[in-house]
Amino acid sequence: MIEVKDLLFSYGKDKQALHGLNFTVEDGEIFGFLGPNGSGKSTTQKILTGILKGYGGMVSLFGEDLKRVHTRGFFQKIGVLFEFPYLYANLSALDNLKYFSSFYPREQLRDAKELLDELEFKWDFLKKPVSSYSKGMRQRVSMARALISNPKLLFLDEPTSGLDPTGAVLFRKIIENERQKGTTVFVTTHNMLDADLLCDRVAFISNGNIVALDTPRNLKDQNSNHSVVVDYLYQGKQEQQTMEASKLKTGIPFAYDKLISIHSQEPTLEDIFIQYAGRRLF
Amino acid sequence: MIWKSLYSVFKKDCRMMASGKFFFVALGSLVFYTVFINFGYLNFMHMEIYNVYLYDPAGTQAQVSNLIYAVDSLEEMDAMLVRDTNGVGINASDGKPDIVLYAGAEKVDRHRADYALSLLHTDDEHTPEIVGGDSPEGKNRKDITCELLFIEIVAVGFLGIASVLFKEKRMGVIRVHAIMPLEKSLFVFSKIFLFLLTDLVFAALMTLFNIGPAEMASILPAVLAQTAILSLIMSLTGFVCAMLLKDFKQFSLAYLVIALFATAPVFLSANTSIKMLWIDYYPFYHVYMGLKNAFFGMPAINLAYSICAACAILLLFGIASAAFCREMRKEG
Repeated sequence: MIEVKDLLFSYGKDKQALHGLNFTVEDGEIFGFLGPNGSGKSTTQKILTGILKGYGGMVSLFGEDLKRVHTRGFFQKIGVLFEFPYLYANLSALDNLKYFSSFYPREQLRDAKELLDELEFKWDFLKKPVSSYSKGMRQRVSMARALISNPKLLFLDEPTSGLDPTGAVLFRKIIENERQKGTTVFVTTHNMLDADLLCDRVAFISNGNIVALDTPRNLKDQNSNHSVVVDYLYQGKQEQQTMEASKLKTGIPFAYDKLISIHSQEPTLEDIFIQYAGRRLF
Repeated sequence: MIWKSLYSVFKKDCRMMASGKFFFVALGSLVFYTVFINFGYLNFMHMEIYNVYLYDPAGTQAQVSNLIYAVDSLEEMDAMLVRDTNGVGINASDGKPDIVLYAGAEKVDRHRADYALSLLHTDDEHTPEIVGGDSPEGKNRKDITCELLFIEIVAVGFLGIASVLFKEKRMGVIRVHAIMPLEKSLFVFSKIFLFLLTDLVFAALMTLFNIGPAEMASILPAVLAQTAILSLIMSLTGFVCAMLLKDFKQFSLAYLVIALFATAPVFLSANTSIKMLWIDYYPFYHVYMGLKNAFFGMPAINLAYSICAACAILLLFGIASAAFCREMRKEG
């Protein structure tokens, strides 16, 4: 679906933003692009969504070189959720969706009300102006705007930003449903939980370079010391031991009266990112 | 598909302008200008410029205008001039008219004296030859309608398009258009077209209410053509400024400079005796004179003017489209 080779981009003489990125995203994959502010992830997304031109290297989407694709047809196949819910504040949710969907062929469109229903939109607000909505409601309408054209490729920038935990769970479910339908999803996020729960593979970008790319599982495995921490009671005292997980193969290898807990010392994606990039995501 | 997209953008722009009360402001301007012209400006132009007081006890002046106030004594004339310091006295007690007045400025005093003396000669010998077919009221109506229309388009239209665009910038929706399957120049075209339509309707109504339906038919096509040129130039300039400037505060400063830059030299040159040698090279002067010629039924368009106007509009459209694309690429 997406193929990027030696992608270079510069905002000026001394402002090299991307230093030769290489990655592919398969059809129907959820691909996470993680990096701190200023690392080049927005620039990459802008190039992939056809907003930024003048890049070096090769970018191919839907099997076609992005430099040669017919713009209108290309934009009909993608959906983009921006980090902020950009909507006409004086129009209602329905009017916003009607306006933005009017640029797509009718046969391609989903029903706006069904979509809002799926996103658990509050119906009382349907005809009220967006200016009266909460951030979460706006994010729901923005998501509906991104999905209304039934895109084959979905770009999501911080999809769960501004949502409460229930909303975040709902959005993850919806993104997963999109994937089930065959949509390819490119997620840009700071949210490690989203990346961990949603993405088939993630790429870590730092200073315009991809420093790691793999499945979250493999990244964790490769960077884990495979140890566990065992908390237990022995002769009336609470004690703790750290040991290699493989030592548990034949049971607990020490004397104890009662086991309290066994915790794996698996690193989080953020730990791994810091390990690769040498800095935190925020 | 392109027409459907244009219709959608146009409909949305209409709603944006309506929610920003732009049509209401334009209607308010129309009412205000019409009331000012019909009940203020024309009455003001009908007023006598100076009161003239004549002391002529022997009745030596044979052709005294009925605009002159006769006084019975020099003391009474002095008393009138103390109260009305802009007035002019004529002492004809010895048969020869002598001017008496409070000194103001040299040129104005000469004008006042000549005016007072002219009221002592009402015969045909001193009646000027009249050129042009307009009555004094008709001429005044055309003058002021043309000036107010010029100000409205330069200042209000320019401000209107910028305020709509700043709203869209603040909402961030311009960036969403970057990923829409939409010909991007339609976004610029729709706004310019809407402001053009509004300005044309405004110009037609200003002409109807202030010049009158009888003469409107003959001058309207030329007035609309000139309005279109000015409207396109100003709305495109407003579009470019709104795209390039950071916020409305910055725009307000630019607005003052541009509105003054466009109007001040033109009005000074056209309505005062100030001579500016460079005014022939000043584009807005030609646009204003084009509009004025249109109101007075003079040929308003020539080839060079048309080519220059078309080039300016195309150039501004190109800059506006480029500025719009730059805005779409900006960070959130």
